[in-house]
Amino acid sequence: MATQDVSNMEVPPPHPFMRPATAAMRSERRAFNVFRMATYSVLLAATAIFGVIFVKGADTIFTREFPFVNIAFLIESPETLHVFDHEGQHHEIGDREFRKYMEAHANPTIAEETYVYSAGGIFPCIVGTFFLVVGSMAIALFVGISAAVFLNEYSRGGRMVELLQLAILNLAGVPSIVFGLFGFGLFVLFAPIFASAPDPSHLYIPLGFGYLNFTGWGVSLISGWFTLAFMVLPVVITASEESLKAVPKGFREGSLALGATQWEAIRTNVLPYALPGILTSSILGIARVAGETAPIMFTAAYVVRDRLPWQVDHVLDVLFQGVMALPYHIYVVSSKIPQNAYTERVQFGTAFVFLGLVLGIALSSVILRNRLRARYRW
Amino acid sequence: MSINEQNAALSAALKGRARAKVLGLTFDDVMRYFFGGNATVAVIVLVLILVFLGKEGAGFFGQNQVNLSVYRKAGLEYVDLMRMPMEEFTGLTRGLNDVRLNRFKVLLASGKDAEQANAALEEFDAFADQLGAVAGDARGLMSDLTEVVSAVKTRVQIAADKDLERDMLRHAGREAEAKALKSEEVDFQKEIAAIKSAAGAWKPASEAMGAGLRAATAAARSAAWAKGDKLLEKLLLKAEKFAVDLPEVEVRMAAWRWDEPVPYSRSVAAFLYGREWITASFWQDWYGMLPLLSGSLLVAIIAMVVAVPLAISCAIYVSEIATPGEKAVIKPYIEFVSAIPSVVLGFFGIAVLGTVIRSLSQVEFLHWIPGFPMSERLNALTAGLLLAVTSIPTIFSLAEDALANVPRHFKEASYALGATRFQTLVRVLIPASLSGIISAILLGFGRVIGETMVVLLCAGNRIAIPDFTQGVSAFFQPVHTMTGIIAQEMGEVAQGSIHYRALFMVGIILFFASLIINYIAQKVVRKYRISIG
Repeated sequence: MATQDVSNMEVPPPHPFMRPATAAMRSERRAFNVFRMATYSVLLAATAIFGVIFVKGADTIFTREFPFVNIAFLIESPETLHVFDHEGQHHEIGDREFRKYMEAHANPTIAEETYVYSAGGIFPCIVGTFFLVVGSMAIALFVGISAAVFLNEYSRGGRMVELLQLAILNLAGVPSIVFGLFGFGLFVLFAPIFASAPDPSHLYIPLGFGYLNFTGWGVSLISGWFTLAFMVLPVVITASEESLKAVPKGFREGSLALGATQWEAIRTNVLPYALPGILTSSILGIARVAGETAPIMFTAAYVVRDRLPWQVDHVLDVLFQGVMALPYHIYVVSSKIPQNAYTERVQFGTAFVFLGLVLGIALSSVILRNRLRARYRW
Repeated sequence: MSINEQNAALSAALKGRARAKVLGLTFDDVMRYFFGGNATVAVIVLVLILVFLGKEGAGFFGQNQVNLSVYRKAGLEYVDLMRMPMEEFTGLTRGLNDVRLNRFKVLLASGKDAEQANAALEEFDAFADQLGAVAGDARGLMSDLTEVVSAVKTRVQIAADKDLERDMLRHAGREAEAKALKSEEVDFQKEIAAIKSAAGAWKPASEAMGAGLRAATAAARSAAWAKGDKLLEKLLLKAEKFAVDLPEVEVRMAAWRWDEPVPYSRSVAAFLYGREWITASFWQDWYGMLPLLSGSLLVAIIAMVVAVPLAISCAIYVSEIATPGEKAVIKPYIEFVSAIPSVVLGFFGIAVLGTVIRSLSQVEFLHWIPGFPMSERLNALTAGLLLAVTSIPTIFSLAEDALANVPRHFKEASYALGATRFQTLVRVLIPASLSGIISAILLGFGRVIGETMVVLLCAGNRIAIPDFTQGVSAFFQPVHTMTGIIAQEMGEVAQGSIHYRALFMVGIILFFASLIINYIAQKVVRKYRISIG
């Protein structure tokens, strides 16, 4: 790149006519070394974090025999781990197996230690996180892209747009736990539900053919969706605006000159070119949605739930059920159960899967972005 | 054809079609308003956050006022007047134990065995016993009264619970049941009169206590065994001062009025400046922000002290010094770091970092560092270091942007004058991008203050104002934070209770803090930007 030519001049090779290093040059070298060390220490610290979690988590996720991946950990539900010695043998087994064992041995009295959530796998958490991410990103993308289209295509500046931009900027700075409280106050406790009879203990609105009861949605997927969607909205709007700005003005003008209305111009000549960019930049939003714990703590996450999200009696119950989620599960297993050799397995395993997932999402965003840049050049 | 008709025909031909209108809006207008409506969502959400945090938190100050006025009316405040000197006295006896331990160590070091040392401390022990015994009557009185006023408070609470139940019955339309439910009117005047008359015994008890203290200290001062002990000397001074101050308690008790109203401002002040956050206590609940605020700030300061130099150095290195190859690796890598979920960092702190730091602090040759060895695995330092990891990417990328935005000719002009790259960096680039760098730091600070999972898992969660009298070791104490307390206690509180509302108030403070930090960051960028170009 042209701008770097000056700053990144290579130091010429030593030769007999070289100017002796002045004090200024020596101090420059020293200072640059300090900057270099600081940079590499940051990279080193980050690598240490990745390294520890990946190395220790790999013990859980990978096995030495075929198929080399601990599939049970990925497709089973969490169970309580029972550790005991019986008939001269050491056992570390999950709850279901333990019950079978007890039956088979006529319920012997044994001294056992139990650790909750330390056996089995994390399948419900993976599923729950998937559901949360898909729903909230759908909402955030819909609202966010529309907002960006307005800001970039329709608005002509002025007070209103300034206010909107200010709001977006500030929304980005609101702590995630505040979003959690807000989601709890609005969606869990207050949001309206359609019902055939009024609920006198809450606010309700008669609609003629039924009632809207403001009883709240409870701790549920849909509460989590909206909470997370609003949290990630600034990320999506900013990403969308950038992609829309990257579409050359000529595209719109050409289309308008041919008699298209503004919406037609946007639909045919702006969005198709901006959309890939919008989606890839929004992948970073996915990483954020998947990674946040605080907003779902009171709005969507259960510590433990036996049923999977699709095991419901009624279709609508899918929306109004709480789910287990990976980040919340990590919080639970790292704070509510003791640290020892037996619990380490599930702790590091979950952290491995979760970190791998989030970094995978971030990586795909970086790769896709680079590819897109190479493809669209105008 | 008139001119107008001609124009209309022409424009219809040019546009290619006539436009259908619904409610006076073309399809294009509808789309426009649709997009505009979505754009206002950001504003609406901000307003809704304020409304719903306010809705849940609003009742707090009123409830706290009731809470504080029950504290006064039921006489708990009165008993606390007596409790204060008693606690100070307990501190004195604890100091006495320290003195004894010190003397014991000195004796052991001088070659005596434990038995001989204990024998040598016989006189000291006699003095300690004498001192410890002087508080007997006063302490007994205080604990008797504690039970009396606790009982009164319990009655008040039962009555309040019944009132609440009655309201709920009324609300559900069960009027008859509501009427049948009687709650007791507690006659505070009578109760307080009884308590005050019982408290009449305080005066002789406290006088006896003062006299006993004075006698004991005077005896110790003249005794041979007490000579030359600086620690004991300090303690004796403290004890004498305590004996002098003791009558003041009576004055305060006499001036105390049970029916003095608790103003609303007191309730607000008790929240904002309260030094204690005590919940679900059998005695009195306090909702004071200071321990949480100071914990949040302490952790944030540690994080910023670590993160700012590193992140700014990184930004300078990447934008000015690094080769293009390095740049292509470092920038995405740091972006990756920003993608690490905070709960994973928190887990890393619990499982790895806390243990590593503590075992490092127990290494013998590092003991010169103040605060080492540390007693707690999870403390402000552990949380601060991990928060630094979360804020480095934020500060880095914003500061790097600011540096990259400095126009190229600034740099070239500096080189043309013969400046080295370092001189250019320090004298030209950094001043030109300073506003951007400062706002980067502020936004990083905002991120650190609002971070929840790391502090919840790693800060140690002890609700206390960090004790800075012990110097640097305050940084190694466990603390609790504003974000952490919400995450920890929100799941356990009853909806609508004062505790619940207090947590929402903390949320409101966090919300405004984030707005203010954002506002300052934007102001800095706008106001101090060197006009470029």
